[in-house]
Amino acid sequence: MRLHRVRWERIRRWGAFLAFTAPALALISLLIVLPAMQTVALSFTDKRGAFVGLRNFIEVLSDSDTLNLTGFPPGPPPWGSLVHNAVWILLHLPLTVGLGLILAVLLERARGATFLKSVIFLGMVTPMIVGGVIIRFLFDENAGVVTAIMRAVGLTALGRSWTAYPETALPALILGSVWLWAGFSMILYSAGLATIPRDYYEAAAVDGAGPLQQFWYITVPSLRPVTMVIVAMTILWELKIFDIVYTATLGGPGGATMVLALQMYFYAFRALEFPRAAAVATMLSLFTLIVGLWFVRTLRSSE
Amino acid sequence: MKRIGLALVVLMLALSACVPAATPTPERIVETRVVERTVEKTVEVTKVIPTLTVIGPWAGAEMDQFLPVLKAAEEKLGVKIQYRIYRAEDLSQVLPPQFEAKQAPGDVIFMWEWWVRENKDHAVDLTDLWQKEANQFVLQPTTVDGRVYAVPYVLWVKPGFWYKKSFFQKHNLQPPTTWEEFLALLDKISAIPGIKKAIITGDGVGWPVGDIVEHFLITFGGPELQQNLIAGKVRFTDPQVRSIFAERLVPLLGKYFSDPVEWTQAIDLWWNEEYGLFFMGNWLTGMVKDPNDLGVFTLPGARGVVGGTDWAFIPKYSENVEAAKQLIAFMISKEGMEVRAKQGGKLASRKDISPDVYPPADRALAEALAKVEQPTVPDLDDAVGGDWQRLFWDQMKLLWVRPQALDSVLRQLDAKFPTK
Repeated sequence: MRLHRVRWERIRRWGAFLAFTAPALALISLLIVLPAMQTVALSFTDKRGAFVGLRNFIEVLSDSDTLNLTGFPPGPPPWGSLVHNAVWILLHLPLTVGLGLILAVLLERARGATFLKSVIFLGMVTPMIVGGVIIRFLFDENAGVVTAIMRAVGLTALGRSWTAYPETALPALILGSVWLWAGFSMILYSAGLATIPRDYYEAAAVDGAGPLQQFWYITVPSLRPVTMVIVAMTILWELKIFDIVYTATLGGPGGATMVLALQMYFYAFRALEFPRAAAVATMLSLFTLIVGLWFVRTLRSSE
Repeated sequence: MKRIGLALVVLMLALSACVPAATPTPERIVETRVVERTVEKTVEVTKVIPTLTVIGPWAGAEMDQFLPVLKAAEEKLGVKIQYRIYRAEDLSQVLPPQFEAKQAPGDVIFMWEWWVRENKDHAVDLTDLWQKEANQFVLQPTTVDGRVYAVPYVLWVKPGFWYKKSFFQKHNLQPPTTWEEFLALLDKISAIPGIKKAIITGDGVGWPVGDIVEHFLITFGGPELQQNLIAGKVRFTDPQVRSIFAERLVPLLGKYFSDPVEWTQAIDLWWNEEYGLFFMGNWLTGMVKDPNDLGVFTLPGARGVVGGTDWAFIPKYSENVEAAKQLIAFMISKEGMEVRAKQGGKLASRKDISPDVYPPADRALAEALAKVEQPTVPDLDDAVGGDWQRLFWDQMKLLWVRPQALDSVLRQLDAKFPTK
């Protein structure tokens, strides 16, 4: 009788769980899981639907638009979309994380902090399409603020349109995207800073620790969970970067700013090579899956 | 209870957003009909005025020149027309999935000729409509297996280098008649105080840069070279093609051409006399403050210029196919074409339009083009199409800032040229 009651209780709980999650699960399955599986399947076929194994992946990786290591480094781009995405992560991630942390710390108790944080956060609420157009004009020879500053300080070589030259097009997009994304890390770090007990700092001060030591030995370790979230979210965003590049440079000049998501788009909607586009999509999904798994593992181990 | 009520309100709001847009409100018209000789009956008839959607690439001043045509069509045909702006390169991505879903964002859409040809299964057959006017046009429609799927609208040409007549008069400059005079002119302009470079290079996605390249190819290789490049009969690494780049164009790039600049911004900079010359299509006449101050010259020796049109087609999935056909018929009629020609910025593709209809700047251009052997050489990248078009634009942008990459650029163009 008791066993019967326990079993019934378990069924009732699972039933309630399924009843509430079934609609969402059905939608996710229909709109995300099923198309994703179809895309993966498409990446192993040719245009007529015949199975071709890894041929699409080999063709994509052999394409100089994906990987072009002649002259890399120190030659300028194009290096291929895979490398461009990697460079984006290598430059953008530390800049965004570091800048966000510094801004959060500086504005923690500053006057007008709320207003300043709102202004900095504007980059996050600006549509990325608009962000791309802004970046194009920020680095424009005639209209750009950045190029005007470069000329004013005597760096005339950087006073020309950055997005017109392969050497400076990718850095322009990356720096512009730091401006757009820094607000995100700043806001998360600000929230994280508020959770650190003040006692730690007071105790450290009593022990003679200076501000830098307090920052390094208290603030940074305490913000580790927040840092992990920011790193994971930023890498995922960098992997699927598309709109900024599309509006600012369209992947040029000469493919110098081509990224995986844009390349997938051109394969699908310009070249009408859907299996190749599916191959790029599958590779991108694999990279994001790796990042996601790393994040979950690190989160679990820290708990 | 409160929460349930709030949830219901939110649900109702969400559902109301899913309700499709209202269909055109029927207009009630009272007609008096004679039913019998001695009896008159008053009958109420409900007549629906269709709203047509026209999608075209023209914005700003170009759109302002096109809207009078639609207004005239509304009055003539008794329809309502709304105009939406979409670039052809964006439509080429938007239309395929919509057509797969048997939907169409517009009733009359302007697109590239090669694209309509490849998507003819989604287009309405316009053969009957075209046959009434066929003899009056300088261009042929888009046909597949003898059936017409898109008709040419007004003509645009890319005639050469534009200059301000007042600027030339002020500095005692003359349009060149030989290549040496052209180089001398560039030197003279470069030496004028306040001038940054002799020629400003317009840019955007890259087509203005491609246009300059094509003008050089046609001038020094003839219209037949352009045709052969389009057909894939001549490669870009061919010695003749390479020599045009290496000996005529590339030496001028760093010295006389500016870096690529957004082309609408370039108009202002050039008009403010920061640059002397500007290569652009004839729609420029509608985009400057004083079109009468415009002058244009082709590169000396040019036997042809790129000219083309925007092709109008009707998607099969339009809800107003018959009304759309009437609209196209009006637009390409003599009356409709005259309305457009009067606005300037484009030339009529009909032979029976008098030059007197045009504004002065366009009239002068039309008369000058009458002396060019081939004023409608196909645009290279538009004719080849596909992803190669984007690549061509991108590689030309690269060549502009890195002329030493000429050989790798030409190899890329050959490597990615579509095989037929």
